[in-house]
Amino acid sequence: MIVAEWKPIPELLASLKGHKNVLLVGCATCVAECAAGGEREVLTLAPVLKMGLKDQGQEVNIITRTLERQCEPEFVEELAEIAPQVDAIMSLACGIGMQLVAERFIDLPLYPGVNTTSLAIREQPGLWTARCAACGDCMLGETFGLCPVARCAKSLMNGPCGGTRKDGKCEVDENTECIWRLIVERAEAKGRLEDLVKVRPSKNWSNSGHGGPKRMLREDLR
Amino acid sequence: MAAAKPDSNFSPEIVALYCRQCLDAEERPQEGARPAKGFNARLVMLPCSGKVEAYQMLRILEQGADGVLLVGCPENACRFLVGSRRAEKRLTHAGQLLDLVNMGAGRLALKRAADLTTADILALAGQLAERVKTLGPNPMKGDSL
Repeated sequence: MIVAEWKPIPELLASLKGHKNVLLVGCATCVAECAAGGEREVLTLAPVLKMGLKDQGQEVNIITRTLERQCEPEFVEELAEIAPQVDAIMSLACGIGMQLVAERFIDLPLYPGVNTTSLAIREQPGLWTARCAACGDCMLGETFGLCPVARCAKSLMNGPCGGTRKDGKCEVDENTECIWRLIVERAEAKGRLEDLVKVRPSKNWSNSGHGGPKRMLREDLR
Repeated sequence: MAAAKPDSNFSPEIVALYCRQCLDAEERPQEGARPAKGFNARLVMLPCSGKVEAYQMLRILEQGADGVLLVGCPENACRFLVGSRRAEKRLTHAGQLLDLVNMGAGRLALKRAADLTTADILALAGQLAERVKTLGPNPMKGDSL
């Protein structure tokens, strides 16, 4: 899922300064799963913003909505009836959904309520960890299903580096597993350790974010 | 929120959300407004204190209540095992948010007890009312969503 987290409350309050009617809109998909922007979080944030602005001497009316998906125009269209009633929108969707809402309601200022941080899984209740970096040249088949691009602090293609801690954690973060240690252990368990010493073609980084904005075109779907 | 000078005319409105499993077996569940000395109480019965979400407590305060009391079972006696522990986490989360907007986490309280009567719940609400008096009336009073 796409993972996001609330921006600091003071930053959110500052962005709504001067607005009287605000639409706070969530998304029931990824950001709901990571407890940042689903219906529950929208309902939690709305009274917090209202109380915070009241504390600063500002009365605000906050209308709440949660769309099934903010990254699909059909769902965003549901806001068309409410949009004329507000003078600003705050979105708790990922950066993708926010941009679609901003594009659809171009006359209204749109404020991000969250920072989009990663592509991650819910590893434990209340703990999300990155699993994918959308690098554009997946090598999970060669690394036994463990991604060194997203999960190695240095995105090494050949690891582990010399910094793995004695307990197998990453030198950069004591709470993060050294992913190359796990790759080696998984290779060993499968009796395929030799696969890791094979010389692989260079990874195609030109399909990653470094190559400029990505654009995918499928003529058969147009 | 900074402690306000207690106002002798201030009669706090306390919403008490209580788990029905906390009640004495002989006690008939009560809901709604209840008269109390020095404060106003509104009782809301829950199937389990773990049913409460942070947004519900925040919304009660946003609508003008002066304090929210959550009454749950003793930690190791929850019929749903983790209900009262969940309730505590959610109340803590809501309190942190209230502190960020200068409302004061002190407007929320969790009490754990068993075999309660309605009078017991009102007494617990009275304890919160005394604390809330030092915070002053909810500045949101009169507002509603």
